[in-house]
Amino acid sequence: MSQEATCNAAGSSIANETVGQVVDRGPLSLGRILTNRWFLHTVSIVAFFWLWDWLARSNVLGGGSSALARPYEVLDQLVVLAHEELAELTLWGHVWASTQRVVIGFSIAAVIAVPLGLFMALNRYVNAIVKPLFDLLKPMPPISWISISILWFGIGETSKVFIIVLGTFVPCLLNAYNGVRLVEPELYDVVRMLGGKRRDEILHVCFPASFPAIFAGLQISLSIAWTCVLAAELVSARSGLGYIIVQGMNLSQPAMVIGGMAVIAAAAWGTTLLVTALERKLCPWKRKIVGL
Amino acid sequence: MIECRNVSKTFIQKGKQEVPVLEDVSIDVQANEFVVILGPGQSGKSTLLRIIAGLETPTTGTVTLDGEPVTGPGADRGLVFQGYMLFPWKTVLGNVEMGPKLCGLPSNEVRDLAMHYIDLVGLSGFEKHYPHQLSGGMKQRVGIARAYANKPRVMLLDEPFGQLDAQTRIFMEQETERIWQTDKRTVIFVTNNTDEALFLADRIVAIEGKLPGRVQRTYTVDLPRPRDLTSGTGFTFPARPGSFGTGNGVSPEPR
Repeated sequence: MSQEATCNAAGSSIANETVGQVVDRGPLSLGRILTNRWFLHTVSIVAFFWLWDWLARSNVLGGGSSALARPYEVLDQLVVLAHEELAELTLWGHVWASTQRVVIGFSIAAVIAVPLGLFMALNRYVNAIVKPLFDLLKPMPPISWISISILWFGIGETSKVFIIVLGTFVPCLLNAYNGVRLVEPELYDVVRMLGGKRRDEILHVCFPASFPAIFAGLQISLSIAWTCVLAAELVSARSGLGYIIVQGMNLSQPAMVIGGMAVIAAAAWGTTLLVTALERKLCPWKRKIVGL
Repeated sequence: MIECRNVSKTFIQKGKQEVPVLEDVSIDVQANEFVVILGPGQSGKSTLLRIIAGLETPTTGTVTLDGEPVTGPGADRGLVFQGYMLFPWKTVLGNVEMGPKLCGLPSNEVRDLAMHYIDLVGLSGFEKHYPHQLSGGMKQRVGIARAYANKPRVMLLDEPFGQLDAQTRIFMEQETERIWQTDKRTVIFVTNNTDEALFLADRIVAIEGKLPGRVQRTYTVDLPRPRDLTSGTGFTFPARPGSFGTGNGVSPEPR
């Protein structure tokens, strides 16, 4: 990390402003191991699984078929699902079915909502027309649309994608809008003083400055997209991770339900990593900056 | 070269309340002259600079540059901001290249100009750095190089070192003098720091301390360059601008 060091007043060299530090590690002692970050991470995770296993073994949450599944049973169930077909699809097929819905719905929303948000921030007429409609529909939870969308589009893919688009549209648009509104106004002055026109202000200040906010919106949208796809699949589906969970519930197999939950978490985490990687690629300046 | 004729500016706050910021300011700046506008905070001096830059329009009065009236911002005036205002998404090189690029120069000329001015401000080797990797002093060097790269007829500096610590500030003042001597331009420099004004100025325009800002007095500084900030130049700094004595290189002009 670069240091905010003072300039060297004596010489004209300024290359010595970044000061590197060598950390003296010292001897390995018990205290050092006990306070080590990675050691504590391991302890907390092992403790979590042990507590889970203990709760399952001692039947605290009821015995029989509805009991809490032990961790190894969940793993076992996932291995079975990965090899044997459930409703003509293996686990991977179900993961892909859900991911596909998320990606399609999320992409449609992002492609429409981000430019619309930018437009609203840049043009007050667009803003005046779109904003009241948006404010009217914004507080409505996307999941409340499930029933009507099944009536309109049936139980196929369209209704699920529709729910995801509705859910992810709001944060995409809001963040793009706020991203532009919160740009430091003096940066526009800089462009104008350097000989730029209105077009240059938008191209060289507006867009790059709102990138971090847009990506924050995309991240929020992505987690909402997974919530929406799960809700839609729980209501009606023949494939997807939500379907696995519903099947687990109907068959009284807690291991299947928990397995489905774990895979959803993993899939959502994976897509989040993809967006983070894209963000790092597209805005390398943002790292280490707080509050742009 | 630059003429401000009876410039006044009144801001309107909350729809009704009028706040007079500048009143009847007239300044003449000669070519290649280093003029410092000196005044305390909230005296309208930054507004005056923004009017010369074309970012604000005067309520009454006119500003002319080489006889042509200033009607808006333009590349013939280079502005250096108090808060640096670098583009965080661009590298040092990208920031400095911005001006010539916006003015439509061919890309090889843009690169040459940028490299020349990055070298002039002493940032060679930092071209690929992003602003957040630089210290305050280095950021303002980028700001100066960026304004210089357009080869403006006038450089306008708005309290450029106000956010720096005292040591860096003195160093940057020396650097400003060196850069100005190497690439002479007309400079209008706004500050609230008397030492800074005395170190840099050919002429000091003192602005009165309360709104609306008026030109209190103008002083010619005849001290030989380069001046020495640390060992004393034979005069003591007065507590208030405007109370300079005579006979020590600083002389008030007749009103």
